[in-house]
Amino acid sequence: MSYNSFIYLFVFLGTVWLFWALLPQKWRPLALLAGSMIFYVATARRYVVFLLLAAGVTWAAGLLLGRLDELQAATGPSLPAPERKALKKRISAMKKGGVAVGAAALLGLLLWLKYLPFALRSTNTLLARLPGHVSITVPNYVLPLGLSFFSLMAVSYVVDCYRGTAKPAAHYWQVLLYLSFWPHVVEGPFDRFATVAPTLFDPPRPSYRAVTFGAQRIVWGMFKKVVIADRANMYVKAVFDDWTKYSGAAIVVGTLLYTLQLYTEFSGCMDIVLGSAEAFGVPLAENFRQPFLSKTVGEFWRRWHITLGAWLREYLFQPLVISKPMMRLGKFCRGKFGAAAGRNWPVWISLCLTWAAIGLWHGAGWIYLLYGMYYFAIQFLGELAEPTLLKLLPRLPGWRKTKGYQLFQVLRTFALVNLGMLLFRANGAQAALQMLRSLATPYAGSLLIKLDARDLAVLALGALFLLGVDLWQARHGVGLRQAVEKKPLPVRWGIYIGVVLLIMVFGAYGDNYDPAAFIYAQF
Amino acid sequence: MMHTIEEINALLAEVKPGLAPAPDEELVKTGLLDSVDIMSLVMALAEEFDLEVTPLDLKEENFHTVTAILALANRLEEE
Repeated sequence: MSYNSFIYLFVFLGTVWLFWALLPQKWRPLALLAGSMIFYVATARRYVVFLLLAAGVTWAAGLLLGRLDELQAATGPSLPAPERKALKKRISAMKKGGVAVGAAALLGLLLWLKYLPFALRSTNTLLARLPGHVSITVPNYVLPLGLSFFSLMAVSYVVDCYRGTAKPAAHYWQVLLYLSFWPHVVEGPFDRFATVAPTLFDPPRPSYRAVTFGAQRIVWGMFKKVVIADRANMYVKAVFDDWTKYSGAAIVVGTLLYTLQLYTEFSGCMDIVLGSAEAFGVPLAENFRQPFLSKTVGEFWRRWHITLGAWLREYLFQPLVISKPMMRLGKFCRGKFGAAAGRNWPVWISLCLTWAAIGLWHGAGWIYLLYGMYYFAIQFLGELAEPTLLKLLPRLPGWRKTKGYQLFQVLRTFALVNLGMLLFRANGAQAALQMLRSLATPYAGSLLIKLDARDLAVLALGALFLLGVDLWQARHGVGLRQAVEKKPLPVRWGIYIGVVLLIMVFGAYGDNYDPAAFIYAQF
Repeated sequence: MMHTIEEINALLAEVKPGLAPAPDEELVKTGLLDSVDIMSLVMALAEEFDLEVTPLDLKEENFHTVTAILALANRLEEE
């Protein structure tokens, strides 16, 4: 059941909302759980077993960690100091064991299903170069829907219970609802248990405002998906699937349209899922904050897929930097190469591993690793150049603060991001390199590839419209809906009807179009 | 031993040459410190002051001003 399908928008959402609203307050979370299970089983069938299993492991690990904390709190204060210290040490060791086993089991499931075939294929490539013709059979697994999302949310729950920043759920169904909640199970956002649990388990009363706000956001998401993303997909698919036919301007336009497609599709999907959850009174985490207004690549990644970046920062990058091996490495580098090296190298190595993880999270393939390394290279070079730039800054004239220079920074970041998008969409590393090379070859054919001039005009106007909305939000710092809400009734309804009409008139559906499945649902 | 604003400022200047913020000037939201700078600063705090930093200490609010960083360093020193 896709988020942009008729059955999801007009049958599933409405029916679940009615049941949810009609039930007494204490039963409402169970309506959300029932809705989530129906959504998952209708979409992924028997693969629900993996979700049930992951929820079981997550719940048990959280419960164990919570019980150990309770044991220490109940027993510790009554013991003499030496015994109290010994108990604390024992419980700390047991907690470390609990979190390690829990996280390893959850990540193990992800690694086994998503990365084992890739690892074995790569091993076979190596073995093929050796004498003896040895090869390993590569299993062909089907990935359970949302595995890359719910397994990382499960790990965050277990680690938060270990750190004491989340109170372990008492019941299995609570963890199952947290992981399987249908708006975030397929494409995220990566919500934290402590943030969503209060509204999931004790939602606000049904309200007209929540439903209308949710519906408005869903319509906005549909506009992005149906009018822009699905239309751009036609051009992108043609250029990237048949890349040997194209060069120069065709590849440039194809890449720009892919960037537009990915942004409108992913952020549009987030609008649909956040709007869906909002109608039930559950605020989910935002995943985008006007990313194309960023002045640096680092800033871009703080505004694009925000919850993935935050997850990796909090649960991988930061713990890695302060881990014992990195601290030892820091001491070694400091002794050999000076204080700056001791401070920086553990951070840079952790950063490299984090970018590799970001790349590989998107897919098990060398091209995704290359994608991650591309961003690491940009950030690393920036870090190396920064001390010199910072020393030079006071001597540079004031033009660095001018609007023109800031626009240059935004355009530079946009160009670098587009280059990354080319790597990300190309059909493998070889294809990416060939496409990069053929950028230098002028393209003699027509740029109207699979789309006519009207389609390209719709895409250009759509992109400008989105840019206008992003600029407006960045300037005013509030949501567009809150601003529209304050307008008089005729203006308000004029806007609502206008956007729906735009979708109906300019939506890319029908025989001439080939609507694409949500890209991030495949990760 | 309690640490001082001057010591924190000296560490900040090592991590980001030229950075000399006022004690309550916002560092994170203004982009003066990003996550990589924060972790370099954490390494410097651990090394220079011999502090043991845990993941729970790495919350953004502990780094948003020089005063907040000083409070973190002094709390870790006491622990």
